[in-house]
Formats: sequence, structure tokens, C-alpha cells
Amino acid sequence: MNRHVLFLLASLTLGSPLFGADEDYVPGPDAMVKEGVPQGKVTQHTFKSTIFPGTERDYWVYVPAQYDGSKAACLMVFFDGGGFVSEKGSFRIPTVFDNLIHAGEMPATIGVFVNPGVIPPAKEGQEPRKNRSFEYDSLSDLNARFVIDELLPEVGKTVKLSVNPDCRAICGNSSGGIAAFTVAWERPDAFRKVVSHIGSFTNIRGGHVYPALIRKTEPKPLRVFLQEGENDLDNLHGNWPLANLQMEAALKFANYDHQLVMGTGKHSGRHGGAIFPETMRWLWRDWKTLQP
Amino acid sequence: MHRILLTLGFAAFLTLPLTAQDMPLSQILPEDSQWELVAEGYEFTDGLTTDAEGNLYFSDVKGGNAVFKVDAAGKVGEFIPNAPGISGLKWGPDGRLYACVSKEQRVVVFGKDKAVTELAKEVRPNDLVVTHDGNLYFTMTPTSEIRRIDPSGKMTVVSSGVVTKPNGIALSRDQGTLAVSDHGGKFTWTFRIEPDGTLAHPGNYMTLVTPGETPEVAKGDGMTTDIHGRYYVTSAEGLQIFDPTGRLCGVLPAPDPALPIVSCCFAGPDQAWLHVANGGKIWRRKTTTRGALGFEAPKAYEVLPK
Repeated sequence: MNRHVLFLLASLTLGSPLFGADEDYVPGPDAMVKEGVPQGKVTQHTFKSTIFPGTERDYWVYVPAQYDGSKAACLMVFFDGGGFVSEKGSFRIPTVFDNLIHAGEMPATIGVFVNPGVIPPAKEGQEPRKNRSFEYDSLSDLNARFVIDELLPEVGKTVKLSVNPDCRAICGNSSGGIAAFTVAWERPDAFRKVVSHIGSFTNIRGGHVYPALIRKTEPKPLRVFLQEGENDLDNLHGNWPLANLQMEAALKFANYDHQLVMGTGKHSGRHGGAIFPETMRWLWRDWKTLQP
Repeated sequence: MHRILLTLGFAAFLTLPLTAQDMPLSQILPEDSQWELVAEGYEFTDGLTTDAEGNLYFSDVKGGNAVFKVDAAGKVGEFIPNAPGISGLKWGPDGRLYACVSKEQRVVVFGKDKAVTELAKEVRPNDLVVTHDGNLYFTMTPTSEIRRIDPSGKMTVVSSGVVTKPNGIALSRDQGTLAVSDHGGKFTWTFRIEPDGTLAHPGNYMTLVTPGETPEVAKGDGMTTDIHGRYYVTSAEGLQIFDPTGRLCGVLPAPDPALPIVSCCFAGPDQAWLHVANGGKIWRRKTTTRGALGFEAPKAYEVLPK
């Protein structure tokens, strides 16, 4: 009886927003500006796509202080980029990159932070057509083509990006997480490092089939990091923790270089943000052997 | 206490951009919602539409010779006699009833005195919408076209070859987006309606569930929309419902799955009853939402769900 009550209390504590396991995940010291660490530069841009007709979006480019333009640099692309590039969010990527690059724990990496497309309204008072779900949740090479054939050539006009796929990583949260996986799955010649937080490997637009596809497709040379939370979504599209466990089991079965970190958080970027420096150390652990 | 509330509020704000609102079927259908028979005894019902009072209008495209009306009391009767072969009906902002007369290959309008006026001839119209500003858009299924008749009566082709077999057609609640279903494919397409009435930026925004035997063809047919931004598409697999970002909310199998389900609209009290044309019968069921009405001024942000 007592044990039962204790278990109930523990479940309530973990599951209830009032006691907020999710809120306990906070950015750590590697996400704070440190004195003496050179800071990269972030610039903001807009992009109009033809692959996604009529869409407009913002994107940001982070160029590390260590980049001098003499040779190509590693690349990491972030979907829903605005949240990742923010200095006040859960991730604070420019600061994390500054610190880890300075400490030699990851290569000098150019960050590209791209938002999903919006088809703006033609008349005042009308609503934009949000293209995020179409771009991120669809299982096709369309979003990969947008990144590789449209966006990166534009970024490449001002910085030299590595063409070595092992030097190119891609990251996202939720639908952005499955989108990051889809880009690498479709184009392992262009991206071989994937980071997914609270990834939507569920049936929003058919993404629940990835575990089955991974098991029956000749393994691709990808390194995949997954973060998930026990209290993540369970809705009409699927159950997020179960879907990520299926992904982990499939990646293990097919012998992928992979890791799943299962926490107690909800559908937010907090846990992924709190562990992001550690994720980067794992993802780039052999970067000194790579030729950008 | 205040700090906890603040933290909670802040956390909710932070998580918001990650998730568009989920719209499961349970959000639309009350627990006791069942299909109820509205009308029967027809050969092939089609062209379901409503007026401001919630009366339902429909045609019997193969066997009937009239536009029929179902009033608030559920009484069915002839509304316009001698009007055979109609496959699409919509009320305009001018209080007239616009129709695709597929059998006669023309688009017409019935005046308040029910007199008929021809708007286009030698066309292959299937279904139509009329916007609040008086633009009429209709699908030409056999020719892969969408055409527009502007308020001056001039007809133009506004899309050609994008949708394989354009069939159902619907306006988003803000009338900024035109959605068109494909009888020969698996997508429902969206276009932006430009200020000059032309269509731009086609996107295969919604992917329909398809039958096992035709994985690339959903047989998308008649459409409608609701005030929360959802799209409703009849198809071989039943009535498919999509959220405003194009994600499938769910599928309602046809009341009689052995017969085609080809037209749908909200009507009845509060425009809250979802009606479908299913072979020779018309069915309805109660919902928690309401239809978006093209003849009314578009309502955008004030009806957005939280």
C-alpha cells in the first residue's frame, strides 16, 4: 500500500507540469558566454524558395571566429532555426559553438539556422499558409533538395562549406527532428550526422514507417543522435516516446552508429538544450580525423 | 505562487512554436454523434450546399430533375424544378444560386425568381465555389483545368495541368486559399488567391489515405471547410478531414461504404451538422464545429482556436 502510494506520487511528480521535470532541464555552463572565448558572428537573411513555391523564410548564418576563409569548414544545419540561434532559448547554439570550438571539442563549424516556409497572405487580414508540416513531416527528398540545391548554394556564396558528408550535420526538434533524419536518409552523400530532439517519428504524414524502413534497407553511413522524453506527446499522430524507442531498436538492429537519450521531459526543447554540448561532443568525437 | 504561474506560462509559450494544435476527430464529433438519414430514394445525390439559414440544397445528378431543399424541420421538397444534371451548387453573396450543369456542359445562376441565366457554355464543369467578392471558380475534371468567372462575367483558365482530375473545390475560411481535390491522384491541392483573382503557388498540401488497390488514387471528390480552418474531402476511403496545416485529422467511413461518397457540407441549426451525399441517400451528423460560408465576409483571426 505504502509503496503503491509512493509510486503514484513519484509518477505524479514526473508527469505533472506543476512539479515540472521538464522545467528542471536548463542550459548549462557551456551555453553561457565565457570570458576570453572568441565569439563567432551571426547574420540574418531571408530566402524565397522555388522548390516550395511561394514560400518565404528567415535564416541565420553563424560563422565561427576561427574561420578565416582559407579552407572549407564543417557545417551544421538547424530546422526551426530561429529557436536554435536565439541567445535566450534552450539551445543558444552560437554560444555553445563558441565554447566547444575554442575548447577543441568540435570543429570550427558554420551554423545555418533556417525557419520553415510560409506563403504570406495576398491580402491584409488573411492567414499565411504555413508550410512547416508539409516541408518537415513529408517522407520525400523535397526538403533535402531545398537545403542542398537551393539554400546551401546561397550560403556558399559567402563562406566555404565542406562537401565531405561526414563533416555535415543536421538537427531539429519535433517535426524538425524527423526532417533532419529525412534529409540524411535521402541524401547520405550530403549529410551523415543527425541530431533529433523529441523527433516526430509518428504518423503526421507517414513518418512512423522509418523503423520498418531502417530494418529492411541496406544500412546507410549515418551517425544518429536521438533525444526523447517519457512525458512527450501521445496524440492522434502517435506516441512520441514509443516511436523513438522503435527508432532506437531499428538503428541498433541495422547496426547504425547511434544513441538515444531518454529523459523525463515533455514536448519541448529543454532537455535537448540542456544536454546539447554533450551531444556535440558525442557527434563530433572523431572530428580531428576528418578532412573538411 | 506567482513565480510558479509565471514559469508555467513561460514554458507554455516556449513549447508553442513546436506544435501546431492537434485536431483529433474527437474534437469534432460529440460522443453521441452518429450518422442520421436525411433524405433517400434518389439515384445519385450530389451538389450539397447551404444558405445563411442552414437549409440544405442538393441535386440528383443522374436521376433527378430538380434542385431539392431540406428545411430546418427536415422536410424535403423540390426547390427548383426542371433543373437536371447538376453536379455543383453554391449560393453567392448576391443571394443567387450558382450551379454547374454538367449534363448541359454549362455554368448557370438561378435568380431570386428562380429564372436561369447562363454564365458559361461548352464547358465541362464539375463543382464550384463563389467568393464573397463575387469570383466564381469551377473545376473542369476531364481537362485538368480550374476556371474563373469574374464579377463582370469574363471566364479565364486559372490553373491547367496542375491537378490531374480537379473535382472538389473549397475556400479556406479567410478566402485567401483555394483548395481543390484530385479524382485522379492522392493529393488535395492549395492555391493562393491573388488580389486580381488569379491563382498562385500550387502546393500538394494534403495527402489522402488511398485504397490498397489504388495506392496513388484517392478519388478526391466534393469538399467543404469549417470555421476552425479544417478541410473536408470526400474520397474512395470516406470523408477525410485535414487540419489547417494540411495534416490528416482522420477519416470518417461513408455511412454506406458500398456506395460512393461524393459531396459534403455543413448545414442545419448553427451550420453544425455535417452532411454527406452517399449514393442515393443523404446523411448528417452533429459536430462541435461550423461550416465556413463563402457568401459571407471572410472571418479570419477571430475564430482561430487557441
